Amino acid sequence: MDPDGSGRIRVEGLAKRFGAVEAVRGLSFTVEPGAVTGFLGPNGSGKTTTLRAILGLVRPTSGTALVEGVPYAALPRPGRVVGAVLEAQGVHPARTARRHLQATGAAVGVGDERVAEVLGLVGLADAADRPAGGFSLGMNQRLALATALLGDPRILVLDEPGNGLDPQGIAWLREFLRGWAHAGRTVLVSSHQLAELGQIVDRLVVLDAGTCVYQGGTDGMRGRAAVRVRCADPARLARALAARGVLEIDHLAEGELAIAADAVLVGDTALAAGVALYGLTEERGDLEQMFLRLTGGAA
Amino acid sequence: MTVSERGGRPAVLPTPGLLRSEALKTLSVRSWWALALPVAALALSVNVFGGLFGAAVGGLRDEAAGILPASLAYSLSLASVFAAVHGVVVATAEFRHRTVSGTYLVGGRVPVLLAKSAVAAGTGAVYALLTAVLGLLAGLLGQGAARLPSVGVLLAVVGIGIAVCALWSVLGVALGTTVVNQAGAVVGLLVYVLLLENLLSLVLRSGTEDGRAPAAVARLSSFLPANAGDIALFDLPARQLGGRFGPSIVESLAGVAGPPPGWGALLVLLVWTAAGLALAGVVGERRDIT
Repeated sequence: MDPDGSGRIRVEGLAKRFGAVEAVRGLSFTVEPGAVTGFLGPNGSGKTTTLRAILGLVRPTSGTALVEGVPYAALPRPGRVVGAVLEAQGVHPARTARRHLQATGAAVGVGDERVAEVLGLVGLADAADRPAGGFSLGMNQRLALATALLGDPRILVLDEPGNGLDPQGIAWLREFLRGWAHAGRTVLVSSHQLAELGQIVDRLVVLDAGTCVYQGGTDGMRGRAAVRVRCADPARLARALAARGVLEIDHLAEGELAIAADAVLVGDTALAAGVALYGLTEERGDLEQMFLRLTGGAA
Repeated sequence: MTVSERGGRPAVLPTPGLLRSEALKTLSVRSWWALALPVAALALSVNVFGGLFGAAVGGLRDEAAGILPASLAYSLSLASVFAAVHGVVVATAEFRHRTVSGTYLVGGRVPVLLAKSAVAAGTGAVYALLTAVLGLLAGLLGQGAARLPSVGVLLAVVGIGIAVCALWSVLGVALGTTVVNQAGAVVGLLVYVLLLENLLSLVLRSGTEDGRAPAAVARLSSFLPANAGDIALFDLPARQLGGRFGPSIVESLAGVAGPPPGWGALLVLLVWTAAGLALAGVVGERRDIT
């Protein structure tokens, strides 16, 4: 089977066990081109394992991870299809940035001009002939990105690319990834911090303890945000809401309710049920809160 | 569309670009010439003083011309140890410096193993050539050129030396790919080549002198990898020196019993190398890079 050139990544029923640890179980999602897909989850939720399985570096215990319809190892010219920035990816400390890129470029099938191009693109031209052993974390991330870009791939996979980047670096990276996706290519970028990805993410895959807890547009996640209510009789309000089909209600401390519904509906229901409202706040649009809730962190 | 252009089955053979990539990696760090320095120093000193060999056959004054090929063979045997260390270092450096993910991503595991082996074999051949050139110069100066050994014999010894060093480089790459831990693999290699294999040979040969063990067991000593390389190297010089007693000279030099002919020993080393590569291929293919 040949790669289909779609720029699509498809993970199906992926599971990976390291000894007694089940890093990923039954994970399925699809990454489409033309969008930035955020791959979110707390540390240790299986993001890195999943990305490495997609890239053929980790053998799945069961399930499949396909790039353009084929396993990564079956891509005839992988460097032209996928560029990857991985965590804990190194450069020989004695090798200069340029030599490192030339060596990788030779395997990808690109020459010195492309090496100079990507060095300029990530802003490392001035440091090109210094040994990478003296690079800062941020410079190493830029070099890793330059390496990923060598083959002008259709798909970019980045594992926590913001680590070690200064705020300007992160802003630059966001712009870069946004432009990349708008050009119709695929970006899959992982982070344990939603704020880091911020507004550039078009789609989300949220991971918790090795399983997918949400996938879809960011709007869908915002839509599930809650209305917080302080009222005279929480139990009665909850019953009244349930009668109207609103069942996602959390009872918080001090009689507060968190309700997954529109504020107008909650207010009307409270009035009809004769429950006095002392406070009503909308939490709509707070992705961070939803992320924390989905992944079991305290909101 | 050629077979390698299509997807479906992972490629096995490295592309020319991948070979170039591995060559660039070797040339852009200093381990290859750092290991070439002791190779050069040993080549000079062994051949100037005639090495162990000159002392061992000190009685055969008439055969002085035969000492140069023999001391050259001995220094090539030493060079092969450094060739193997170099192979281990280039393979394990990828894991030590965490560059292996990037390497596998663009190259594929089996093609990378083969490309590394090819480049390391080239480096091993360079070590052998370096040994040959410096050894010949030092030998002609130090041992005296009263009776020059035949060019044919010298060329044959150098050619076998190139093969032995290249094979040991590949064995080093295979070992490094299998073990991954740099310090562990280098120490393991040296302990085996310098100590363990000698002990093994001793044990294998121990029972034969008083007839307690069959000769076949003792002959196994010739089929251990380091011994096989030595036999291949010493076979021709020993024949030059000792004529029909050549094989017994090889026995005492390589510490083996009933050695096969030189070409047979080279074949034995080749089989060991192929087996090592196959093991490294299987282990490397299954390893999770986390």
